[in-house]
Parts: sequence; structure tokens; C-alpha cells
Amino acid sequence: MSEQEYTGLTGRIVQYTIQNSADVYRLGFWVGLVSFIMITLFPFYWLLVLAVTPDNQLYQMGIVPENFNIGVFATVVQEYPLHHYIFNSILIATVTVIVCITLGSLAGYAFGRVDFPGKGPLLVLLLIISYFPGIAFLIPLFELLTGSLSILGTPTPDLYNTPWGMVFPFTMLSLPITIFILTTFYSQIPDGLEDAARVEGTTRLGALFRVIMPLSAPGVVTAAIIVFIGVYREFFFSFIMTDGSPENWAVLVYGILNFQQQHTQMYNMMAAASLIGIIPIAVLVIIAQEHIVRGLTAGGLKE
Amino acid sequence: MGEVNLTDVRKEYEDVIAVEGMNLTIEDGEFVTLVGPSGCGKSTTLETISGLTTPTSGTIEIAGRDVTNKPPKDRNIAMVFQNIALFPHMTVYENISFGLRLRDFDQEEIDRRVENAVEIVQLEGMLDRSPDELSGGQQQRVGIARAIVREPDVFLMDEPLANLDAKLRVAMRTEIQRLQKELGITSVYVTHDQEEAMTMSDRIAIINDGELQQCSPPLECYNRPVNTFVAQFIGSPSMNLFNGQVDGDDLDVSDFSVEFDTTNTPLQQGDPVTVGIRPEDIYLAADADDIAHPSRPVTVSVDVLEPVGDQTYAYLLSETDGDTTELLMSVDPDKDLSEGDSIEVVFSRDDVHVFDGTTGDAITHSLVDAAAVAEETAVEGEA
Repeated sequence: MSEQEYTGLTGRIVQYTIQNSADVYRLGFWVGLVSFIMITLFPFYWLLVLAVTPDNQLYQMGIVPENFNIGVFATVVQEYPLHHYIFNSILIATVTVIVCITLGSLAGYAFGRVDFPGKGPLLVLLLIISYFPGIAFLIPLFELLTGSLSILGTPTPDLYNTPWGMVFPFTMLSLPITIFILTTFYSQIPDGLEDAARVEGTTRLGALFRVIMPLSAPGVVTAAIIVFIGVYREFFFSFIMTDGSPENWAVLVYGILNFQQQHTQMYNMMAAASLIGIIPIAVLVIIAQEHIVRGLTAGGLKE
Repeated sequence: MGEVNLTDVRKEYEDVIAVEGMNLTIEDGEFVTLVGPSGCGKSTTLETISGLTTPTSGTIEIAGRDVTNKPPKDRNIAMVFQNIALFPHMTVYENISFGLRLRDFDQEEIDRRVENAVEIVQLEGMLDRSPDELSGGQQQRVGIARAIVREPDVFLMDEPLANLDAKLRVAMRTEIQRLQKELGITSVYVTHDQEEAMTMSDRIAIINDGELQQCSPPLECYNRPVNTFVAQFIGSPSMNLFNGQVDGDDLDVSDFSVEFDTTNTPLQQGDPVTVGIRPEDIYLAADADDIAHPSRPVTVSVDVLEPVGDQTYAYLLSETDGDTTELLMSVDPDKDLSEGDSIEVVFSRDDVHVFDGTTGDAITHSLVDAAAVAEETAVEGEA
């Protein structure tokens, strides 16, 4: 190593970084990590500050809360039916997940494991449909689901203010991604296992539910969570298909919106309700995170 | 227990005919091996028996019932797979009892049968393990236990030993054979390994290009192959085949000839023939006294020697008028041979096979007393 002298501040910094490159990499890592975490978590912090600031001080609010009003969390649950909205959301999301996974499994089996003419074009069509924004289907769907259409003389059922009025469009919007995820996973299960199950005494459908699905658990869980989160945070159809009262199956997002009334905007309540509403999803993701990670990575790998 | 009957089975994929005109009867309790090169249709044949594939035409009967269009679950068959195909999300117990549980057997009966099966395949004490905790051989035993626990009519095995290492393969081979004799279950075994087929089966069904060539006991396939394909496929190393023609009392091959009496065969002067001689039926001229009907000696040079231990394979070249013919001979390793030597060899004329030069069908399996042999072959051909 040469004994060249570095002079001046810049020179010494350069010398230090060359000789201690590991430290510099570590510094870079921490700077990157902290910035990323701040960008991700700042909205949550802001929500928290917003929630605990008493409503008369909302307009002078700063980065650090000046007063703490923890009672707001109790208020949104006790004086408003927030728990009822959350229950509606969870129930509707769960039903949608069950319907999507059931239908998606049948389609995923067909696309992933059976050769039939027109398979490629059909998958592309599915992909194209999944790119359409939900609003594109608004008018026909609304007419269909509110009993304004008649098919062969029979009026369609009026699903306004029922959970089915939301489950139906949610399923329609979530099914393509479910089918794609499940197709990928089901296609990777070795044929021998399905053959073995069929020889042992199952039908093709039995083999799907007893062998192929359990072995694709990471994929199924990933699809289920993606659908669940998608439904839980969906606003558009949730807003249109109910009148906003919890008895009529209004969901969490509508409940939060209800804090914004004609003359008052209770931002602290909305923030508190948002934070509480995050909890079910957070719990779900923590429980299933191992599956999700395996699911998202395994999908891209062929063994 | 049951007999399996395939009648005119044909399986066509989009542009390929996988199996054609397959007629095969497997007796109750018999062990039949389907053997042939890869892509010959042996696995497809097995799949049509199992019901995993429906034949394009033809019928399949198991235990006297027409099952051609029945799904696998209604055929009372069990199958062992090449890739073992244990369900990775189930324990050994759950794997073995899978079929019984699907059929709603009561718990006591399930436990009794699983215990019995586990004892037969010697896997006691492993019921709670998951398949990935077992070695390859143990996994295949679980596969076999899963198959025998349901007491099926027919036991189907699709190259079950192909993924095991060589030593284990030989051990499992004996075990499967013993098990099959003990249980007396009709078995259909698919392999591409002619040695496996020879050692295990009651009868071997040799398939090529989707068509059944011959279905006979192992030694008959070896001693009396119906055509050149079977002759080359069965036996290791393969039979030497030479093209030639009938010339008076001789069979003329490119540069040597073997004496042959054609009187009692359909062969005419000048007919094209293919002559087949197994490496083990070629002897050094010095040992000609040991065999009943030696041929005239042929002078050859030793090209390459391949010692394998109990014998040595000698690649010989016979050369006349610029024509070179290659012969493979298996010789006692004690014989003093080295590469480049010029030696004289004789053939055991009792064991020389003659095939039709154009169709490849067998004409006789011995150059001695051809009359009797030809007659026998004709009778077999009809059967």
C-alpha cells in the first residue's frame, strides 16, 4: 500500500472511507433503511397525532402533539357504531374470499392442469378484464343488482343494502387475480400426486381439494389475503350499494366517511377510526406473513 | 384378485399413436412386465389400465368387469409411481390410510389393515413421520404399503425403482417379487430395464412403437425372440445381427458363412435373412469341443476388450475383401487375449437365430434340426 498523504478535510474523509469501506456501506444501509421506514410510517404517525389532538386545536396542529386526548378512541367505539362497521367489513370480505377461492380454485385447476383448446386466449381475456376499472361496470352492475333489469321476464333481485350487493361486484373484481395466483400454484403440483389421489379413490375434484389445494397453501393464503385486503379497503361499490347505516351492511370506509357531516368535519374521529380499522388487517398479515412471503416468492420459482 | 384383459386397445394423442392394437391378457395372480424403449407406449398402456387415460378405442376388463370408461377410483386397482408420489402434507399413517378413509372404512379396520401393511413392508414405528423424513427406499415402501392396504384386484407399478440407487434397486426388486408371490395379486409392472423385466416377471410383454411384439416368459423371450427387435432388446449385451442371404447349404453374411440346412424351412436359395448370434454363443475355436454343433471357424481380430469382472466383452472385427463386420463376444476373463490379436472363433449352431431379412420375423432359433424348430415357431405364432 502506498503511503500517500491526504490533506484537507475532503482528503481525510476520502482516506477514511477508502480504509473503512465497511463502515461506509453500513452507514449507507442505515440511512436508506431509516428513510424508507420514515416514508412508510410517517402517515401512521400523522394519523396518530391527528387523532389525539383535541378537536378545538386541530388547526394549530404541529409535528408533535401539544395535547393528548386519548379518549377519542373510546368515543368512536362507544358513541358511534364503529365496531358494527368493522364487523360488516370483515364479514363481507370473508364471504368474498370464500367465494373467490372456491371459484378461483376450479378455474385455476382448469387453467393450470388441464389442456383444452382456447386456453391461452381465455387467460389473456381474463387478464384484459382484470385491467378494467371497476367504475366501467358501474351502470350495468347497479341496474343488475338493484332489480332494475329483467332477464327473460324475471326481474333481477334487489340487492341494495344487502351484503350480496357488495360481495357480487367484489368477487367480480377480485376473481381474475385469484385465478392467476392459483393457476400458477396449481400448475406446479406434480401430476403424479394427482394421479395417486385419483387411483386411491378421489375424483378430480376430490384430488383438487384434498391434495392440490393443501399443497398450494402458501398460494391459497396469499390469494385469500390479497382479496381480503382489497375488499376491506374498497370504497367505490361499498359507497354505492348501501345507504351508509351499519344495519344496512355499510362497511368501515363508509363508517369513517360518516364522521364527515354536513357542517362539521371530525378529523380526529376519522383518524382514530382509521387507526382502529387497521388493526384487523395488521393482525391478519402478522399471522399469515410466513405464508405470504413463501407464496409471493414460490410463485416465481420452478423447482 | 383379478384377471386383466386388454382388447384392441388404441390410444391416439393429437398427432401421435401411442398404443395400437394392444391385445393382452394377464392371468389372475400373474406378474407381467411391460418393457420397451422410452416412448414405446408402455406407460400409456399402464395408464389405460389404471383409468388415468381413456383409450381412443378398445376395451379393458378387470376381474371380468368392463372398466373402459370407469374412473380410476371405481376400478379397484392400486398403483406405485416412479416419482413415489406420497402426499407430502400427510404423515406415513395418513398416506397409507388415505384410500381406506376415502372409502369410509371404520377406524378399527383401518388401523388393523395399516398395521398389517406396515409389517409386510417392514416400516414399523414410522407411522407418525412425514415422507420427507424417510429415505428413498423407505418412501417407496410407504408407496407399496399404500397400494397393498386396499387389497386391490390389480397392482400397477410404473418404474417404481427407477429413482432409487443401483444397490437399493436390486434389493427392492427382490422384495417386490417376494411380496407379489406372497400376496398373489395380479401385477403389471412397467420398466425400460430389460434386466428388471427378466428377473422379476412371470411373463414379459415387449412393446415397440405402440405395438406388442411378444408376450412370453423371460427365458422364452431370450431363447426364442419373435423378431429382431425382441432379439436385440432382451439380453445384455445385445445380440449380434448380420444381414446376409441363403447360399446353398450356407448362410452367407458379408464376410463369413455358417452352415445351415434349409430343407425344412420356407427359405429359398438367395433369400435375404438376418442372422442373430448372442455374444455368449460365440466361442474360441480352441473350445469348439465343448459345444455340440460348432460352426466353421471364422478368423477375426480383437479390437477392444471390456472386462466387467465375471466375463470380458471382446469387440471383434472380421475382415475380408475390405468389408468389415463387427462382432461382440463374451469370453471367460481367464482366456489369454489382448487387443490386436488375430484369433479364430466358432458359433454354437444350436443357438444361432435366423430372421426374415425384410420383415425381421423369426424363422428359426437353431441351425440344427431346423425342421422341428420351424414347426414349433409356427404353432406359437398362431397362439
